Amino acid sequence: MTKKIFRSIISVAMVVLLASLFIASSFLYDYFNKSQVSQLKEELSLVAANVDEAGVEYFDNFDSSMFRFTLVSADGEVLYDSQANVTDMENHLDREEITEAIENGNGSSARYSSTFTERTFYEATRLQNGNVLRISVSQVTVGALILGMLPAICAIVLISIVVALVLSHKMAKDIVKPLNELDLENPAENETYEELTPILTKINKQHKQITRQMQELRQKSDEFEQITASMNEGLVLLDKKGMVLSINAAAKKLFSADETAVGRDFLTLDRSTDMSRAIEKALDGKRAEFREERSGSEYQFIISRIESNGKTVGVVILCFDVTETAFAERNRKEFTANVSHELKTPLQSIIGSAELLENDLVKPEDTKRFVGNIKNEATRLVSLINDIIRLSQLDEDSEPATESVDLYDVANEVVEVLTVSASKKQVELNLNGEPCVMNGIRRYLYEIIYNLCDNAIRYNKDGGKVTVTLKQEEGNTVLTVADTGIGIPVEHQSRIFERFYRVDKSHSKETGGTGLGLSIVKHAVQYHSGKVTLESELGKGTTVIVSF
Amino acid sequence: MRSRFDEQLSLLNKKMTQMGAECESIIALSTKALLEGNAAGARKAKEQGHKIDQMEREIESICLKLLLQQQPVAKDLRVISAALKMITDMERIGDQAEDIAEIITFLGGRTGEECHDIRLMAEATIKMVTDSIDAYVNGDLELAKSVSDYDDVVDDAFDRVKQTLISMISENTADGEYAVDLLMIAKYFERIGDHAVNIAEWVEFSVTGVHKGE
Repeated sequence: MTKKIFRSIISVAMVVLLASLFIASSFLYDYFNKSQVSQLKEELSLVAANVDEAGVEYFDNFDSSMFRFTLVSADGEVLYDSQANVTDMENHLDREEITEAIENGNGSSARYSSTFTERTFYEATRLQNGNVLRISVSQVTVGALILGMLPAICAIVLISIVVALVLSHKMAKDIVKPLNELDLENPAENETYEELTPILTKINKQHKQITRQMQELRQKSDEFEQITASMNEGLVLLDKKGMVLSINAAAKKLFSADETAVGRDFLTLDRSTDMSRAIEKALDGKRAEFREERSGSEYQFIISRIESNGKTVGVVILCFDVTETAFAERNRKEFTANVSHELKTPLQSIIGSAELLENDLVKPEDTKRFVGNIKNEATRLVSLINDIIRLSQLDEDSEPATESVDLYDVANEVVEVLTVSASKKQVELNLNGEPCVMNGIRRYLYEIIYNLCDNAIRYNKDGGKVTVTLKQEEGNTVLTVADTGIGIPVEHQSRIFERFYRVDKSHSKETGGTGLGLSIVKHAVQYHSGKVTLESELGKGTTVIVSF
Repeated sequence: MRSRFDEQLSLLNKKMTQMGAECESIIALSTKALLEGNAAGARKAKEQGHKIDQMEREIESICLKLLLQQQPVAKDLRVISAALKMITDMERIGDQAEDIAEIITFLGGRTGEECHDIRLMAEATIKMVTDSIDAYVNGDLELAKSVSDYDDVVDDAFDRVKQTLISMISENTADGEYAVDLLMIAKYFERIGDHAVNIAEWVEFSVTGVHKGE
């Protein structure tokens, strides 16, 4: 803008300068010419009067260096010339001014010299005797005049250009200065050219509008960020080219990304082929879902399309940590497989024996043994189903009413029931301790002690010992069942509370048992918000401590 | 014009990353098949190998198109020429992982557990390939350099595998064919490591303009 103003000023100055030079000089020249002509006429009339009086002799003592006089007779012959030899001069009758003077009494003309550097003015008048007196003066022409003045003109023009340059530069700057100093942050507070006021008002309005919108946007994005930041699930927003638009804290952790992730291709964060495929699928408009292990945990990724006006604008990736769910699912699957297996084995044995009996393939003396087999397997089946029912009861959240139970009584009952099987295995079963009254569900407490003691007897050595101890300790009721049995290897200790988990993988029938006992114990103890701890040494025995 | 060029470059980048991911997953598949003695997994790796070959063609044509139509200079040219070299290495990685998978089908369910170092090699090569691709994706010079250094781990492991196998054969604890198969697997892993180093070197070249091999 400064440049433009500067250029305009300087060009205007130049045009004005040149125009005024031209106009002034042409005016002056014109004026000069006119005054020259009138001077010529005056001189001519003066001299003509004298010549009329004195005749041609008047010129004899006449001295004029300024003007040239020529006396021409009526037939054009030159009678006298003040600056040239008369004899050399031709007939002047064809000269414009002479002809005019002969006809009208006066004549005038102007002619250029052959080089055009001079112009000669002629004035002629008819004398009384019919002769014509002519006066003339030569003068340099405008071109020559200007040519002569050229150095001076150049100097003037140059000086004026310099002055104009300096001045216009300063002026341009001065004009633009208020514009440069506009405070656009507060457009309304400027005091500047009046012409700018509408623009400034408009800017002011828009400025306010933008500030407000920015604030709203920032608030919204803050809200969004705060909401997503506190999410445990990872959330990533991608545009339709797969660039990350937003990524929350959980997702950052999962993909080990940082702040710079936003604006980058999601492939740079995670390039697993499953993920790329799922994103592509989502961009095609189908919801994609898959599970994958990431840094030791299992994650479920749900990828769906973000739509706006029917167009895909991006995808959203949700990441859930499903490690626990997946573990539970696996457990359930395993449980189902185990249950069916456990249920099938005795049944198959029953069917086998029954078929043999049906087809009379059993010797009469063995019949009893086979029927006994069937009975045993059926009993096993029933106890297994009972266990499963008990477990599922425990699994259900319907809590039976609690009552005041003396644990010692319950233990005593168990010991009485189990004495027979203990003596069969030649295991000594002892109960020590004091009456311990606690709030609980008698049936469940019975299950706990029964299963623990049953295991202690079942997995004991011949001539072993099982000791049940009950005591109150720091307000807790502590039940200890210690045996001198075969013990549990360390690597199995953490898993024996799982359903159907057996240290002895062969599921051998020798020891019996369903593999559900400890699972029932665990659940029942949890019901009473108790804790089970296990101490065991291979070959020496196991101690289970339950504290409520 | 430039924006179209940028678009094509980012497409190239994307495809390269995807191809890298395919390479990672094929090695993981082969390794898993080896550790589980699973021939079915080995067949899956073979399918993946075809995909990698396809991607190589695709990236090749993108690179050539870029070179011919855009006539890139300086860094762009380096990136594209490095990409052309890298896909060759990636394709070789895919082939070798495929070869490992093929040998696994001959092992008859044995998992090479007699030779612990093979597992170590498998893990190390996976790490190297992952790191080299990461280095490419993030233009990470440090990581690229670390890949080259890590190659020693794989080489050392390979020497140990060789020693173990020699002693296995001389002690007659393994039949010769099995031992040779394991040796081949180890060798393929070692080669994969070398290719990962190549990729890392090309990453360095595309960033700095200096190739380590020179």
